[in-house]
Amino acid sequence: MKKLFDRVFDGADEMYSIAEKALCDAVEELGGDAPLAMPNTAYYLANFLSYTTRKVTTIGELKEAFEEAKQWNIHDQNMGAVFKTGFGVFMAAEAIEACKYAKGPDPYEGKYHGHLSDAEVRELGVPLVTNDIPGFVVVYGKAPSDDEAVDIIKGYQTRGIFVFLLGEIIEQARRKELNMGFPVRVVAVGPDIWQVAHIISFVNRAAMIFGAVQPGDRWALDDYTFWRIHAFVNVYEPVSDIVVSCGAGAIAMGFPVVTDDEKDMWPVPKSILIQKDTQAFIETSLEARDIKLKITNVDIPVAFASAFEGEIVRKADTRVDFDGARFPSFELVRTLEAHEIEDHSTELFGPDIDDMPEGESLGIAMIAEVAGKNMQTDFEPVFERNFHYFINCAEGVMHTGQRDIIRLRVSKAAFDAGFRLKHLGEILYAKIMSEYDTVVDKCQVKIYTNQDELPALKAMANEVYDKRDERLLSLTDESVDVFYNCILCQSFSPSHVCIVTPERLGLCGAVSWLDAKATNQLNPQGPCQIVTRDRPLDPEIGIWEDVNENVVASSHGNLESVSLYSIMVDPMTSCGCFECICGIEPYSNGVVIVNREHFGITPLGMTFPEMASMTGGGVQTPGFMGHGKHFIASKKFMKAEGGSARIVWMPKALKDMVRSKLDATAKELYGIEGFTDMIGDETVAEDPDALMEFLTGKEHPALGMDPMF
Amino acid sequence: MGYKKEPQVFKAKIGEVVIGAGDAAVTIGGENVWSFYSFDAPIEHKPATGIEFSDKGPDRSLPELAAFYEGAESVADIAARACTAPGADFVSLILESADPNGDNIPSEDAAAIAKEAAEAATAGGKPLVIQTTGNTDKDGELIPKIAEAAQGHNVLILAAKEENYKGIAVAAVTAYGQKIGAESAVDINLAKQLNVLIAQMGIAPGSCVMQLGNAAAGYGFEYLASTIERVKLAALTQNDDTLQMPVIIPIGSDAWAVKESLVSEEDFPEWGPREERGIEMEISTAVAALAAGANAVILRHPAAVKTVSGMVDQLM
Repeated sequence: MKKLFDRVFDGADEMYSIAEKALCDAVEELGGDAPLAMPNTAYYLANFLSYTTRKVTTIGELKEAFEEAKQWNIHDQNMGAVFKTGFGVFMAAEAIEACKYAKGPDPYEGKYHGHLSDAEVRELGVPLVTNDIPGFVVVYGKAPSDDEAVDIIKGYQTRGIFVFLLGEIIEQARRKELNMGFPVRVVAVGPDIWQVAHIISFVNRAAMIFGAVQPGDRWALDDYTFWRIHAFVNVYEPVSDIVVSCGAGAIAMGFPVVTDDEKDMWPVPKSILIQKDTQAFIETSLEARDIKLKITNVDIPVAFASAFEGEIVRKADTRVDFDGARFPSFELVRTLEAHEIEDHSTELFGPDIDDMPEGESLGIAMIAEVAGKNMQTDFEPVFERNFHYFINCAEGVMHTGQRDIIRLRVSKAAFDAGFRLKHLGEILYAKIMSEYDTVVDKCQVKIYTNQDELPALKAMANEVYDKRDERLLSLTDESVDVFYNCILCQSFSPSHVCIVTPERLGLCGAVSWLDAKATNQLNPQGPCQIVTRDRPLDPEIGIWEDVNENVVASSHGNLESVSLYSIMVDPMTSCGCFECICGIEPYSNGVVIVNREHFGITPLGMTFPEMASMTGGGVQTPGFMGHGKHFIASKKFMKAEGGSARIVWMPKALKDMVRSKLDATAKELYGIEGFTDMIGDETVAEDPDALMEFLTGKEHPALGMDPMF
Repeated sequence: MGYKKEPQVFKAKIGEVVIGAGDAAVTIGGENVWSFYSFDAPIEHKPATGIEFSDKGPDRSLPELAAFYEGAESVADIAARACTAPGADFVSLILESADPNGDNIPSEDAAAIAKEAAEAATAGGKPLVIQTTGNTDKDGELIPKIAEAAQGHNVLILAAKEENYKGIAVAAVTAYGQKIGAESAVDINLAKQLNVLIAQMGIAPGSCVMQLGNAAAGYGFEYLASTIERVKLAALTQNDDTLQMPVIIPIGSDAWAVKESLVSEEDFPEWGPREERGIEMEISTAVAALAAGANAVILRHPAAVKTVSGMVDQLM
């Protein structure tokens, strides 16, 4: 078997000798002083310019440049030499083509596109840079049949991929009368392999125009083509040595080559892929070049817009009612391996709406399975919680709840318009793929309506939910590497910043550490940024030098220091959206917590709104602090001042809400059973005297603690 | 004890953006002190005042404005006349007829109008700032076409938003070498985010200005003023390079759309002539925006332009 490197070198020699001959003929026919220019470009011969910095304007100069290019044809058995040879081949190919253009600006007389003008480079370059065109393919050779030639071209077209054609496939497409041209994103470049020079010229000019790559800067060029130009190559068998030599150049730029030719072909991961099934070229290629297609519309028979989010489907209008309260139902996101997922498939296990009696109540399960190189299981609940918003946007479909307490109704009108259960899959697929495209590469949806199967499936889902809850419990401030900030509220509270940790969620109650982490990864420029905490100043009170630096920057200089675990020393500020306010109660040495829903007075002599006026707006008020409900039972709650044992009063409703977790925390920290019952509420006291009497009777631990100030 | 003057000069500075080609070029930004604090350190480029006109022509019901543009009918003539306005550092075309809620002329036609205006402006020795429709979809399609049509004139095009910045930034700046404005809605964090996103497209800092919002004095203007101040504060005191682009604030459209500038003298005789009121709305809004830190303002009426640029000259 002939070695791959030798094939490259033999092919290169072939290209150079064709170029040599073309050049000699041109000198003989036109003379060395004859001007030479590609039409409508300010970049001379762009390949020569980009690789050697030479600005070729005459045949004589091309001859000189070609002599230099010969030094790129190095027959050394190493990768560097092979790649350099590949670039040399593109110069040789450009020399061949330039000789044709020396004789006239349109050597192909409209039959082939040939050279691309600078205007075309800009027109195609912009959408490539912005990813509106996800990439381009160069297809060379002869497809197994004319029909298959059309299929592959149209396949790329429908995926928005720009297509350059070289060789016999052009004739195949013409026989099938396929519409080609720049506007339809299919360009018949030329009949021979050396017209590849025009495509490479496009790439080099794009790098110079859009990447500000300087001629001669190979490192910058390689970097730009690899990261910014999402191109790849498809070659049909037989693949000759000269084509292999061009492939070396393509691979050097980061463009993988997919072929069905096995003879003397050496697969190289991510670079040379042998795919015997030519009909699978598209999928293999997109995966090899990491190209993700944009999903822009949700293909369902009813309207889809946030205007329908709050729409209620009444019982009388309901075609089918899936009721998680009465029948086993759930929704779930699971992470799988990429090969386990058939992208964009929706499978229905069980009857569709047509086979359900009108107005019937049943159970349903919806499982979205996703895969992605950057996917993490921590994102699953984040996606899952958004099912509610996704599904509700469909007209005539109502969704409430989450996990295994969902309710889903489809109206008669939606059913009559053609809405079926597979469209739920369509909604979930389109939304997950568009909203989370930074982490999800593939997605499939499974919907279960077989009522016999649901109980077992639900048990499986419950195991997943339990594992997630355990994971949440196991997360502590010490067990993670970084915290996150959240500046979502700065639009109305410009100097406030939340530092979100596993044990201290955002004061609004809506942003946990996991949420902040997901927000950051999904939108790296978004409102949640990583906050390192590597340089402790006082970990007991929760002060880190690097956290403070972040607070200074993200509060635009308004705050200098924030403690995470103290209400007295530089307490964290509040925007105004806090679920609860905690304030010191001087007589008992403790604190009072009041939640937003409580309208009555507190033993501090203030109501929630009165306390809020002292707490919001991004100001540090020692002794007052806004926080989320879940923070109350955290072991980090006011840790610096002794923790939750300081809590002396809460509204009864709030006590009931946090009781089980707070009792557990107090038992673990202080060995106290039933701590929540030692805390006063509006039914026992709304003034300090009555509260003190109650606390003394209960022997509340705060009474014996050190003064807070 | 004698008074000792401590100049408040920052280590950070606002970036410079050059608009216009050849003799028409004007630089905005570049200062390292608070606005107009030229006693702390020299301010090399004074805040610029521009005069705007619609492609549908000036409001000829205003006698003084009509007199200024008398005889100027085509966009080129109007642009040329605007270049002669005393005190105007640049001129600005509003592509009103491209608005999808109005005439909705095709992008190609609007680009041709922009080209006409750009040629007239460069010939008149003034840079051109082009204000597009504000409609996300239309601007996304229109701005690349304008950028192509106005090649060589180094125009500033307003504006790219978070929804359409990619295509606009890459086409206008990278492909055709124009300047763009990054428009956000009165929020320092959104402004910062958009600047970061635009920079990630490989757009050099000297190619982008910020349009932080618009409002007329008395109509929510304090939000805008406070946003401009906070942006400058972050840029200068914290050396936040994602907020160091110069700030441009279009004033005309808002100042002429509030009650004070709209109601007729017949209905409110005690308020006096409508034209005078509009001019005063423009002046008071522009002066406040400049005091807050704007590097450029765009006004509609030549009398307002003259007054505001006169104030700038006297303060520098």
